[in-house]
Amino acid sequence: MTHRKILIITTNHSSYPGADAVGQARMGYGANTYIIRVPDPVMFPEDFYLRAYEKGIGGIIIMSSGSDCPYEGAYERLSKRIARVYEQMRAKGIAVNRLKLTTICTVCRAAFLKEISEMEKAVAVI
Amino acid sequence: MSLEKIEVDALVVGSGIAGLQSALDLADQGYSVAIVERNPSIGGKMISLSKVFPTLDCASCITTPRMASVSHHPRITTLTYSTVDAIRREGKTFTAAITRKPRYIDEKECISCKRCEEVCPVFLPDEYEQGMGAKKTISIPFTNAIPQFPVMHPEHCIRCGACARACPKDCIDFLQEPAPVEIKAKAVILATGYETTPMTAKKQYGLGALPNVISPMAAERLLAPHGPYGRVLRPSDGMTPGSIAYVQCAGSRDKSIGIPYCSRVCCMYAIKQAILLSGSLPIADITIYYMDIRAFGKGYEQFYNNARAMGINFVKAKVARITEDENHNPVVRIEKQEGTSGPEEIKHELVILSQGLVPACDGSKFGLGAANNEFGFVKLSDETVSSAVTDGAGVFVAGTAKGPRDIPDSVVDAGSAAIEAASYIRRL
Amino acid sequence: MNEKITEAASKDNYRQEPKVGVYVCHCGGNISDIIDVKAVAEALSKYPGVTVAREYAFMCSSNGQDLIAEDIKNLGVNRTVVAACSPSLHELTFRNVLQRAGVNPYLHEHVNIREQASWVHKLDKAGATAKAIKLAQAGVEKVLRKDALNAIRVAAEQRVAVIGGGVSGMRAALSAAGKGLEAVIIEKGPRLGGKLLELGKMYPSGETGPAIVKKLSDLVLAEGKITVHTSAEIDFVSGFVGNFKINFKKTDGSSAQVKAGAIVMATGYEHYKPAKGEFGYGEDANVVTLPEFISLLKNSPADRLEYSGREIKSLALIHCVGSRQVEGVHKPQADGRLNDYCSRTCCTSALHTVNQLKDKYPGVRVYDIYRDIRTYGMKHEEYYDKASKDGVLFMRHNEADQPVVTSDRTGHTVKVKDVLTWGEELEFKADLVVLVTGMTPADITLIKSQLKLPSGADRFLQEVHPKLRPVELANSGIFVAGAAQYPMDSTEAMASAGTAAAKAAILLAEPDIPLEPFVAVVDEHKCTGCGLCPAECSYDGALMMGEHNGKKVAVVNPALCKGCGACVAVCPTRAINVAGWTLDQFDAMVDAIAKE
Repeated sequence: MTHRKILIITTNHSSYPGADAVGQARMGYGANTYIIRVPDPVMFPEDFYLRAYEKGIGGIIIMSSGSDCPYEGAYERLSKRIARVYEQMRAKGIAVNRLKLTTICTVCRAAFLKEISEMEKAVAVI
Repeated sequence: MSLEKIEVDALVVGSGIAGLQSALDLADQGYSVAIVERNPSIGGKMISLSKVFPTLDCASCITTPRMASVSHHPRITTLTYSTVDAIRREGKTFTAAITRKPRYIDEKECISCKRCEEVCPVFLPDEYEQGMGAKKTISIPFTNAIPQFPVMHPEHCIRCGACARACPKDCIDFLQEPAPVEIKAKAVILATGYETTPMTAKKQYGLGALPNVISPMAAERLLAPHGPYGRVLRPSDGMTPGSIAYVQCAGSRDKSIGIPYCSRVCCMYAIKQAILLSGSLPIADITIYYMDIRAFGKGYEQFYNNARAMGINFVKAKVARITEDENHNPVVRIEKQEGTSGPEEIKHELVILSQGLVPACDGSKFGLGAANNEFGFVKLSDETVSSAVTDGAGVFVAGTAKGPRDIPDSVVDAGSAAIEAASYIRRL
Repeated sequence: MNEKITEAASKDNYRQEPKVGVYVCHCGGNISDIIDVKAVAEALSKYPGVTVAREYAFMCSSNGQDLIAEDIKNLGVNRTVVAACSPSLHELTFRNVLQRAGVNPYLHEHVNIREQASWVHKLDKAGATAKAIKLAQAGVEKVLRKDALNAIRVAAEQRVAVIGGGVSGMRAALSAAGKGLEAVIIEKGPRLGGKLLELGKMYPSGETGPAIVKKLSDLVLAEGKITVHTSAEIDFVSGFVGNFKINFKKTDGSSAQVKAGAIVMATGYEHYKPAKGEFGYGEDANVVTLPEFISLLKNSPADRLEYSGREIKSLALIHCVGSRQVEGVHKPQADGRLNDYCSRTCCTSALHTVNQLKDKYPGVRVYDIYRDIRTYGMKHEEYYDKASKDGVLFMRHNEADQPVVTSDRTGHTVKVKDVLTWGEELEFKADLVVLVTGMTPADITLIKSQLKLPSGADRFLQEVHPKLRPVELANSGIFVAGAAQYPMDSTEAMASAGTAAAKAAILLAEPDIPLEPFVAVVDEHKCTGCGLCPAECSYDGALMMGEHNGKKVAVVNPALCKGCGACVAVCPTRAINVAGWTLDQFDAMVDAIAKE
């Protein structure tokens, strides 16, 4: 079911390897999760996220590199952009807990699973 | 057994951060490099640390990309679980006799699926976890080991055959023999690293027999994100300690144990561990007994100030003796140098000895002219002019093989050794 | 500039009809035990754009790789998707397969269905299979929209410019020249050698500063590949990696320019100059800094320690002057900041000097007032030991209780609350007070502003990563050696300078510097010249508005672009994208994932 699908945006540098670490440890989570990797999530304009919800995606987790980020100024721009996305989501009546911006490092296995389990709760009530 | 022969420009002995970095710095300049590592995985000590000072970066997160670069680099060949038995010099060439120790698996076929590990019925104490936690007799040494190949320990194997049956590629080889390898190189970089002062070194500190007096590496594993227990416990009873103490200069600045020098990093790693403990055990009482706090590097003083602001107690006192009570609570005997006089005995629940750094390997044993200083570390021929050149022509040294140093020092050493080796090779 | 830099994306107008080959790996059961790989391959074979879809036991094996090579040869497959383990393991392997078979290696997409599917969905085989199909379909959508990419190459000057001719600068130049590069040292003073020229016997070898300088400068002057300019001050520096231009003026009025592919900042330090009145400095006679004392010691007659013609019978050293400053206790510096850092070498330097003092004048009483004794080096503990054996009296104070120096006709009185004697306030007289001063970075304001060099709160040049990249600055092609980065002793500077040279040598190992193709690329047909994107870019000079074919467009300097994509998000027409990671690709991937 599309509205239960969770899109996870990960970075080449930190959170994608972090997702791999979860797999190497054979930990488990739901198969309704789709991970895509990017150099940095700052590249996506506000409408990228809104279009994803229009297509029916249930939840989006942006797993940024946070302070490990190799790109100058990217995280600040990203957080400001996501703040604007939240405003637009509120205007459209999309529950804001369906979008989460977080930081995941290459070995943050427990944090990775926690983010997914919280988003699962958020998409379950759509 | 046929002799495997490898010819490279440079041979790097040791794959800790200094070895990895010097190999990368050489290979990126166009030279071919062979790294020989005696442990089953590259990464040295750094891969088993929790976080590093003063940035509190996760140690694995910053080491694994280097390890990955080395394993993917077209000009670097890595031999792990291999020992350097001898290095001979003939004219301009070094010939190293290496032995590949048997892992008892076929590395060409293994796909790192870990089926063998899953089905093996025999548990062993996990040496990567400093003896805490258990691993299987056939297992990949740790999660991010490179290469991701298991090692089988034949002395504990019961020959049940479960691994062989489970392996999808049929690559368990019980009869594997050590394999000789010959490496010819034009230059050698010794990056053999360090060990920490043994827990048995000082009799006044319990000779390693007190269960709740642990080594700093054991503390690192307890604090590491994927350590043996996922949290900090004390060995004797698995309790969460409420009162923790660090004994600085436990294995350094001490003529009585033959280590009179300062090991340079212990103040900082103790402060780092104390800060991490503060985070994971917010109500614990943490004390650092010190002689001098040597926070001399970039960002170190600020790190020290943060630790004090977090409520970690710094007590200037050399710990004379450590004993324990009937519940294995360690008791330290000190004479405080501040406040009231007289000796005191203070009880804690867990004590970590801030051990010093001693050489891991005797570099002079290769007989290549690289001499040791009086503490067994490799000596430089003239440290006022070069940080990597030894008395042996074509033999260079990087990292803690020269003496205690921290990670940035080792990285800087490595680059320096790489360019000295490159200049040397060019002039041959 | 454009002729020296080859473009990242080749916009081939004769785009071939895309023929995608999809390969699903069993990974020896690791994937196929959970995911129905046959079903995945079947679903993909029907997907638009896919010419062939196969599944195989081990795609990374030679046989697996051959499957792809054969399909390229026989079926005209010109783009590939491999659904297997993590790309961290074999993305390069498969790019090489494509390259060997004559297809651009960047027309490959690697989809992770092991670490991120079969290994984490063991209890949901149906779910894992459905997910694998979706991910592979998303992979196809991405690869259909990929452009052939070429590594960007920036032509580089095979020369390193070393700014500063002290021991760090000399070592950096020697190491660079040893590797076959040309090196140019630009030194503002009249001679090579920097601060070491002022020093007497140095630790650990006991050689004098000038003797060590001579060793290095003899090597420098004998090295044909090194050019030295002394009495030369930097006037204007500009450029980017591979192409820096350093203009300098000499004191004789002449000027010159050096072109270099890399720059090593070896500009060193200054001694901390105590403020007037700081422990009596500048107000009372007989309060000197450690460097001044070292000079004094060198020039004193054999029979007595002398200063300003008077005999010194007792002296007090006060550590951490100008370093480890604390808010509320110390006054801020001229720029409002405190020097809160430790200057690293002063404890050892001070005690080594005291050792020499006691050897030459054993009768002089020495008091040493400190906060921590930081003799951290291999042999440095011996200097502390010897000082103690030579009868130096050590007193330790907390930072909040600073020692107080007062003076009258009879000399100086020093008061200190000594924690080693349980906080008692001790008072003694000293003929001379020596302030153990630290280091501050040399003034390089001009160069920093021209090249936009970063510095930390401590004012020293800021490296990219303090643990793993200690000599690299964020500016590509610019490295730092020696005390310009942080206080250090001359032996540490040897390592620092050696490694800075190594980094420069790696950069300039070939006449062209290859850069990853994943940089921003502007489609000039779509660009309307609106000018929104440069404001998003954090990297000076990487993205600017310019002109091409008479049209105002955004222009990327691939040598400076880091490929973060910050610019991509604001473009109203999607004219700018990071090559290999375009918004069209991601939109199509989300479409494929969202579809039922």
